[in-house]
Amino acid sequence: MILEARNLTKRFRLGNRDVDALRGVSLQVSRGEFVAIMGPSGSGKSTLLQLLGGLDTPTSGEVVLDGEVISHLGDRAATRLRREKTGFVFQFFNLIPLLDVYENVALPYTIAGVDPRHGETAVRIREVIEQVDLKGREHHRPDQLSAGEQQRVALARALVAKPAILLADEPTGNLDYSTGGEILDELWRSCDGMGQTIVLVTHDARAAAHADRVLVVGDGKIRDEIELGRRQDPDPSPLIARLTQLGL
Amino acid sequence: MRRLSSLAWRSLRARSLRSFLTMAGIALGVAVLFAALSAGAAMDAAVDRAAADEMGHADLRVQALEEQGLSRETVAVVRGVSDAAVVAPALERKTYLSASLTQTPSSKLPEPVTVLGIDVVSEPQLHDIPLAAGRLLAESDRQSALITETLSTDENLRVGDSVKLNGTAASGPVSYVIVGIIRGQGSLPDAAGRLVFLPLGDAQSLFGTTGVTRIDLGAAHGVSVERLSGELVATIKTEPYLLSQIQDLADSLRGETSDFRSALLLVAAVVLFAGAFLIFNTLSMTVAERGREVGLLRAAGASRSQVMSIVLLQALALGVLGSLIGIAGGIALAALMLSWVQSSGPITFSTPSVSAWSVAMALSIGVMVTLAASLEPAWRAGRISPIEALRRQPSGAVAGAARLRWLILVFGVLALAALAAWPRATGSDSPGTSVSSGIGSGTLGPLAVYGLMLISVLLLPFVLGPLLRVAGVPFRVFRNEERLARSSLARDRSRTALTVGALVVGLGMVVALGTAAQDVRRIGADWLAETIPGSELLTSIRPMPTTDDAIKKELAAIPGVQSVSPIGTFGVPYVYTTQENGRTLENVVRQEAAAIVGADYQTDGRLVFVAGGGDRRSAFAALDSGGSVILPKSLADSTGVHVGDSIEFATGTNLASLKVAGIVAHTLPAESQEAILVGWPDALRIFGVTGADFYAVRYAPGQESSARPKLEATATLYALQPSDLSRVQGAFGDALDRIFRLLDMLALIAVVVAGLGMVNTFSMSVLERGREIGVLRATGMTGRQVWGMVVIEAGVLGLVGAIIGAVVGLIVGALLVSWSSGGFAPIFDPPWATIGLAVLFGFLVSIAAAIYPAGMASRQSIVHALQHE
Ligand SMILES: Nc1ncnc2c1ncn2[C@@H]1O[C@H](COP(=O)(O)OP(=O)(O)OP(=O)(O)O)[C@@H](O)[C@H]1O
Ligand SMILES: [Mg+2]
Repeated sequence: MILEARNLTKRFRLGNRDVDALRGVSLQVSRGEFVAIMGPSGSGKSTLLQLLGGLDTPTSGEVVLDGEVISHLGDRAATRLRREKTGFVFQFFNLIPLLDVYENVALPYTIAGVDPRHGETAVRIREVIEQVDLKGREHHRPDQLSAGEQQRVALARALVAKPAILLADEPTGNLDYSTGGEILDELWRSCDGMGQTIVLVTHDARAAAHADRVLVVGDGKIRDEIELGRRQDPDPSPLIARLTQLGL
Repeated sequence: MRRLSSLAWRSLRARSLRSFLTMAGIALGVAVLFAALSAGAAMDAAVDRAAADEMGHADLRVQALEEQGLSRETVAVVRGVSDAAVVAPALERKTYLSASLTQTPSSKLPEPVTVLGIDVVSEPQLHDIPLAAGRLLAESDRQSALITETLSTDENLRVGDSVKLNGTAASGPVSYVIVGIIRGQGSLPDAAGRLVFLPLGDAQSLFGTTGVTRIDLGAAHGVSVERLSGELVATIKTEPYLLSQIQDLADSLRGETSDFRSALLLVAAVVLFAGAFLIFNTLSMTVAERGREVGLLRAAGASRSQVMSIVLLQALALGVLGSLIGIAGGIALAALMLSWVQSSGPITFSTPSVSAWSVAMALSIGVMVTLAASLEPAWRAGRISPIEALRRQPSGAVAGAARLRWLILVFGVLALAALAAWPRATGSDSPGTSVSSGIGSGTLGPLAVYGLMLISVLLLPFVLGPLLRVAGVPFRVFRNEERLARSSLARDRSRTALTVGALVVGLGMVVALGTAAQDVRRIGADWLAETIPGSELLTSIRPMPTTDDAIKKELAAIPGVQSVSPIGTFGVPYVYTTQENGRTLENVVRQEAAAIVGADYQTDGRLVFVAGGGDRRSAFAALDSGGSVILPKSLADSTGVHVGDSIEFATGTNLASLKVAGIVAHTLPAESQEAILVGWPDALRIFGVTGADFYAVRYAPGQESSARPKLEATATLYALQPSDLSRVQGAFGDALDRIFRLLDMLALIAVVVAGLGMVNTFSMSVLERGREIGVLRATGMTGRQVWGMVVIEAGVLGLVGAIIGAVVGLIVGALLVSWSSGGFAPIFDPPWATIGLAVLFGFLVSIAAAIYPAGMASRQSIVHALQHE
């Protein structure tokens, strides 16, 4: 078990109204597993992901990542966690526009104070860039890349330091179907080939179909759990059939 | 990118215009600061040089308090002091060259010369007398003289020529053979280069005296100055004197420049403060703009302090570069300033001095202010949550609004820095007040002025809403643009407040200075009018004997002349007591005094008696019959003396006690104080005054123009220099005007700094609203209308800044006026024309600042704006 959430709730205060984004979520993710979280807009997916990655603290409940309770960390410990254990890919804003591809991918190292231009670090960075198929584009700036390429850079950056868990929030939401497919294939390969644990948030069944297991979230709770198993072919039809069965 | 800190530089480079303008703002602030510091240092150096010129190698100077000088007995006593190795008495008097008197037409007097009678043996031991030609005076010389190179050129005199000097009526003109020419101007700043050295005995017989004006002393080997002065104090019992070291002399000279220097520093602090707004605002905008990037960095593991240090590094880079550029510019500015001011009293300024101290001071203040102003944005950047990176919409409020109260920190840093650089107070502890030229040399006043500026900026966000509406009125013709512009300004109140704050501070200072200048000018005029019984002064370089009234009678007999009143000014040894540790101490200080004819004042109606200040008629009568004085209110207040009390003077070997017959609002302005008024009988009998220094002449109404030529011709016969009172006022006013105009120019730099800030703000707001502007364009707004919208935004902001600036300036001006009025009814009479110009300037600066961003906005492609993420 690499990640476990126990009875998470999250309440936001909006003006003088309380919004319960999560109302008691428990889940477990095994090492090397690819889990997708699905649900309609406003169901609390992003909120859940933020708690799982230690970006935010829950109102109650706890999150255990790699044996460590991360749900109520101070800023310093949370920073260390982000450096050492987690990698993020977001839907929209993923790259620093002032940095080129290489520098964006190298960011986790730069932040940790490691010179990313030499030695093993440089080898690793080149390896990931190659893995996401951006070899030769190292010195291009984000505004010179397509949206799909930008998202691949973001993926490379999330993977570069081999985090215990990779958390992705709608990484394909801003992309067309085939470009999104490439990203999902990259994700799947890193899981299948290198044992990377992944939690993917999406409202797209075709994206979720890449996962080993799908958690369906609704109204702040986990409504259902669909075990798909590791498959070479991300055929969404079994998932769609099951979702339809559930009336979603 | 090897280190995360490189992001700081890249971010600066990515917004090069913004970075450049911010740096320019810092540079301008530091330039004014550095100019103030190095001009101050130049003034200090000039003062030290003048003091060193005066004192030479002498350790101590014994100076005469009374007009007839130190007596022969005193000189003998001092010569007997065993701790003094060198004793150099000298007599200083002003006179005319006989030749120049006969040559010039009668209506105008020639320039006088200063005669210094010296001990030919000891004088060169204490004072360097560098020769350009000839030789020094020798002991055997009789009827010989040294003259300065300046005088030699002016009057075409060479070694071997003879120079004829006017003496007393008894001695008549006497000729001296020039044996040597002293290089340059000679060492007496007051002589303006026209200096003649005679053997002491020759000078004494020329002026019919046996006294000397000062004795310079060199301590014997191994004897401390303290011991020497102790021995002198114990030995000289014959008459009052003043004992001074070079430091005392420098201090009193320094006192004359300290007002100006503190005003300079205050203005520099204000300009730097405006610069701090610029930094604060720019970094705030950068943080807001890069909020999501910061979130991303945080999500990727950057710590709070890493994020903060990126912001602080940017500030540091801007601060260091800006300060260095500012220092370079400040050197030039200081040179301009000094050549504009030229001189203060007898001290002439030369080039600005650049010391390691002033460079370090300006650099560290520039950098500290920058860092202080960047702490809040940095702190806010550190608070940005990593969740920001996930947000769909780049929300403008990522980093929250800037909290203006952090300006208090900047204010504190600047205030401390200014205190460190403040001109040292002079050592004088006399109870009189000094004649102030507006901003005092104390620290409380300037701090209050400066604090008021801070408070008005902190209050800005509260008055902004209604004021924006008022300022929008003139732009109503463009209804849509005006509304859009106004809503854009109201969107981020703290940003608008910071932008307009710099303008308020700069304009406020300009208006305040203008108001103070007007007032000081008026006070100068009022003062003379209130205390001098006449409209024309006839001044003499030497006391005119009043024992026989012949001259006065002759002048008064001229048709059209209503009255002529002799006035003498001199120093008196005033005794005042202080309480210290329960003991009563008696102190003697030199206080300035003036001898007047009470009856003339009674007739002419001068002087204003304060409530409880005694009866006018009897006070003047008491003055004329002797034994009484009239005090200025300032002195009476500071010593707690009332009418009917007695005050004492340490004249001769015993104390003279005079009764206070009256207290008046103001008396004659003397060198640095208001004079104690004494009747002529006492002046002559007790204080050793030998005559009048000037006559105040009142013309009969309407007859001034007819009487003047005859009066002036007669006056010149007696070597009296006529000068119109309004001309005296004018000269005083002109000198002040020069200084105030300089301060104004410097304060305008703060307005320019505000302009730079506006360019930043408008560019940022155009960038931020890219999408919005795109939508407006897509729905049919023309490029011109977009341009107009941004310019109107600037116009509204400029008007708001100008209005608040003028109000704040008037309030500060009123404060300055009430402080400097020195008891004159503070008349609040703002110089509306200056204020109007300042307001217009502020408005135009704002419009100019909008031109570039407006062009940017109107040229933006609609398509690009709409797809812009
Ligand atoms: N910072 C916040 N303040 C207040 N309410 C919030 C905040 N973040 C989320 N919410 C609310 O919590 C609920 C869940 O939001 P969340 O973003 O987790 O949904 P989601 O499933 O990710 O939706 P989407 O598919 O649209 O991204 C929503 O009702 C949202 O309005
Ligand atoms: Mg979401």
